Amino acid sequence: MTVQKKKTSLAKRNWQKFIRNRMAVVGMIGLFIIIAACLAAPLLTPYDPTFINPGIRALSPSSEHLLGTDRLGRDIFARILYGGRWSIMIGVVAAMGANLLGAALGCISGYYGGKVDSVLVSIQEMLSIFPGTLINMLCIGFMGKSVRNLLLIFTFTGWPGVMRIVRGRILSLKQEPYVESCRANGIGGTSIMFHHLLPNTLGPIIVNSTMNVAGYILSEAALSYLGLGVPDNVPTWGNIINAAKRLDIVQTLPMLWIAPAAAICLFVLSINFFGDGLRDALDPSSK
Amino acid sequence: MQEKEYILRVQDLKTDFKVGRKTVHAVNGVTFDVRRGKTLCIVGESGCGKSVTAHSIMQLLPPNGMIAGGSIDYYTPSGACETLSDYKRNGSRIRAIRGKEISMIFQDPMSTLNPVYTVGSQIMEMLKKHEKVDRAEGKARIIRLLGELGIPNPEIRYDQYPHEFSGGMKQRIMIAIAMICNPTLLIADEPTTALDVTIQAQILDLIRRMQKNYGTSVILITHNMGIVVEVADDVAVMYMGRVVEFGSVEQIFANPMHPYTKALMKSVPVLGMNKDRELTVIEGTTPDASTVFTGCEFAERCESARPECFQRFPKDTVVEAGHRVRCLLYEEGGKSNG
Amino acid sequence: MFKYILRKLVALLPKLLAMSIILFFALELLPGDALSRTMPPDQYQALSEAQKDAAREALGLNDSPVIRYFRWLNQIFHGDFGYSASTGQNIGTMLAGRLPYTIELSFYGLLLATVIGLVLGFLSAFMKNTVVDYFCTSISVFGISLPEFFFGIVFIILFSVHLKWLPSGGRMPVGEHGFFSRVPYLVLPVMTMAISLTAALVRYTKNSMLDVMGKDYIKTARSKGLRETTVSFKHAFRNSLIPTMTLIVMRLPRLVGGSAVIETVFNYPGIGNMALTALNAGDIPVVMITTMTTGVMVLLSSTLVDIVTAMLDPRIRLG
Repeated sequence: MTVQKKKTSLAKRNWQKFIRNRMAVVGMIGLFIIIAACLAAPLLTPYDPTFINPGIRALSPSSEHLLGTDRLGRDIFARILYGGRWSIMIGVVAAMGANLLGAALGCISGYYGGKVDSVLVSIQEMLSIFPGTLINMLCIGFMGKSVRNLLLIFTFTGWPGVMRIVRGRILSLKQEPYVESCRANGIGGTSIMFHHLLPNTLGPIIVNSTMNVAGYILSEAALSYLGLGVPDNVPTWGNIINAAKRLDIVQTLPMLWIAPAAAICLFVLSINFFGDGLRDALDPSSK
Repeated sequence: MQEKEYILRVQDLKTDFKVGRKTVHAVNGVTFDVRRGKTLCIVGESGCGKSVTAHSIMQLLPPNGMIAGGSIDYYTPSGACETLSDYKRNGSRIRAIRGKEISMIFQDPMSTLNPVYTVGSQIMEMLKKHEKVDRAEGKARIIRLLGELGIPNPEIRYDQYPHEFSGGMKQRIMIAIAMICNPTLLIADEPTTALDVTIQAQILDLIRRMQKNYGTSVILITHNMGIVVEVADDVAVMYMGRVVEFGSVEQIFANPMHPYTKALMKSVPVLGMNKDRELTVIEGTTPDASTVFTGCEFAERCESARPECFQRFPKDTVVEAGHRVRCLLYEEGGKSNG
Repeated sequence: MFKYILRKLVALLPKLLAMSIILFFALELLPGDALSRTMPPDQYQALSEAQKDAAREALGLNDSPVIRYFRWLNQIFHGDFGYSASTGQNIGTMLAGRLPYTIELSFYGLLLATVIGLVLGFLSAFMKNTVVDYFCTSISVFGISLPEFFFGIVFIILFSVHLKWLPSGGRMPVGEHGFFSRVPYLVLPVMTMAISLTAALVRYTKNSMLDVMGKDYIKTARSKGLRETTVSFKHAFRNSLIPTMTLIVMRLPRLVGGSAVIETVFNYPGIGNMALTALNAGDIPVVMITTMTTGVMVLLSSTLVDIVTAMLDPRIRLG
């Protein structure tokens, strides 16, 4: 009971710390607005983001089409709202996948040590030498373009960072006497690892996942720009910009790339501010 | 007359710290003098403001700290008076004093030397800053001083980096940095607290020898009464940002008046004290620095506290020449000093 | 210092070896005839089945993998990476033609990012809470919030379409040689490449500087009577660089990987561009070898940055 009470008071204190950080609150509100707008897309725009209407190709912004239309006559505003669903989903799912995998591997590596550790660490080192963009390109080349493949690739190439963080934390936590007392009380390795050690690394994992969402949205945009992201019929922010690869389109249809870039920028900014706030709030050494 | 006798006079110094939205009065009206060529010990528990006082003198307060009142007057050997408390932090006037006239040694030698430069170059930097010497001559002088400070193989050590030195050796390097320009006043802020007991004695001995050889005045900050009795000429006892008792070492030790000083004396073993005297503890803990008081700060831990003590602030009372105490018990007997 | 460099170089060997083994077996596992990769495609097409068998026997393709690995390693040292199925060229020749361009781009990108990032980060900390600080912080915030190619597009529109100052892409004018004819073609890609690392460095250097400024040895430096500029620059900045170097090492893969995107934006003939072309042609061996090459690039440059760090920090050098 007392433990429960302490927990809530800690969460409350962290929340107060977070709320005092003005930029973090701005970030949180920004995230909320963008996500809400994307989810409420059908209420905000009457257009279908994938409906091709040759009659209204390449229109300038007007009251009817807030951001104009693209070369196939699709409403850009609708594409950005629906595209946000995909982009944000990809960012969140990939970040969760990579962080879960990384945390699990980091735990195993840090807790068991020895051979398991050295093997995992060398895989991690190897993987982090290679430029992510190229590895992702290579994998897409092998597996083909699809949202599922992209998520799998992000997960399997994205874990080294988290793994390093979690492993480091576990290694230092292992020195603490309470782990020794757990072991003396006959608690098994898996239980110690997942019930007693992992919760103590949760703060950095949460912060890292948050920041990774931004990273994956940018990565997806870059891959889509190269034509190696998601299939062309899936609107994501990156895929929308991909249409603006040719210089003449860039000039004649500025909304085609400025609008999705602005969406990416706002979302990533919000997430970075939010993540910074989380980091400060969850860091016990800061006041 | 007083310019000749005193090197530093601190009058009613107040130093505030901004912590969040609160203002903490870390030093709250401190007054003391340092006599030329003598050693003043400032003694008190941690958090009593003794270190802040030292940093105020050098204008080395952290960004959230500032001198809020009072004055610090420094009298140069030529008799000029420099009001340090008016100088701009890191301004040119205080920088001309720092290192050349007044230098300082800090508590933790493990972190006070820059890890990326050789110790020789860190001493040379001080020398070059304040004196016109050529490199070879300067290096010879530094090596001589290092030898004097008991550092073996000073020629080799000159080119080594701080991480190659032990804690005690690093503190000797700090002393070398502080002494290379023959300052008139040396402020040592708990110079031995972070060191082993055996090294402590050596470092104190060095400071005393330097003082004797070069005629330097010293302010030594410590929480250790044992050190005070060994090195002090004058003693200022601080509690919660105030000097509660000030006097010569003989006056303080032979006739401690403030209950806090008495308690402090009883709580530490002093060499040569009676075997049958028991060590006692001061009851309670030091209050939080942001506590607001309506009366004497020590009252709640004081054995001889009277109801009056909680209601009004005691005044500084001169009990005999050079011996002041800030306690209501003595206010009627002595002459009030403000 | 010499000993440290030697130690670092020796530590490279097992990593390079591991990479070569991975690459060898990855190529081995690819579907298709291994023989087809050892000679130009047209030559391969011309062979009859019997001739192919004979060629396999002659080239030792039927030997055990271990023997073939070492033979392959030997070939690689002689620049022979086999032949590309899509272009028919020797992959080694293709790399030799493209790699210097990417190295040039990445090197200037790294240099520019480091110099600007460190200077702005230092200024931001030195003039904390001034206009300069807010300006630098805003730059760094926006720099990490937009995809790199976006900056590329903006630069092209601004500097080559509207102002007509710089070419929008390519490598150098036809028929010209030398560094100075290349410079105009390098400016925009290098700027684009440097942006995200610069942004990260400004922020990191600032935090690192503020952290160092609270250290005791800064108080010591002030107590010597040194000027605030000397204290900040000589005593704080050099120490703040040490953790910053670690950040650079960690970001190197991203910098080099960014070349794939940037080379596409500016139509710059480097290996990123080459990998993308090969990928679109389904030429996986070329993509694999290119990726490995960038891995080696990252590895070598991190070693270089490590050596710079050791020069800055005697504790690493002598420890």
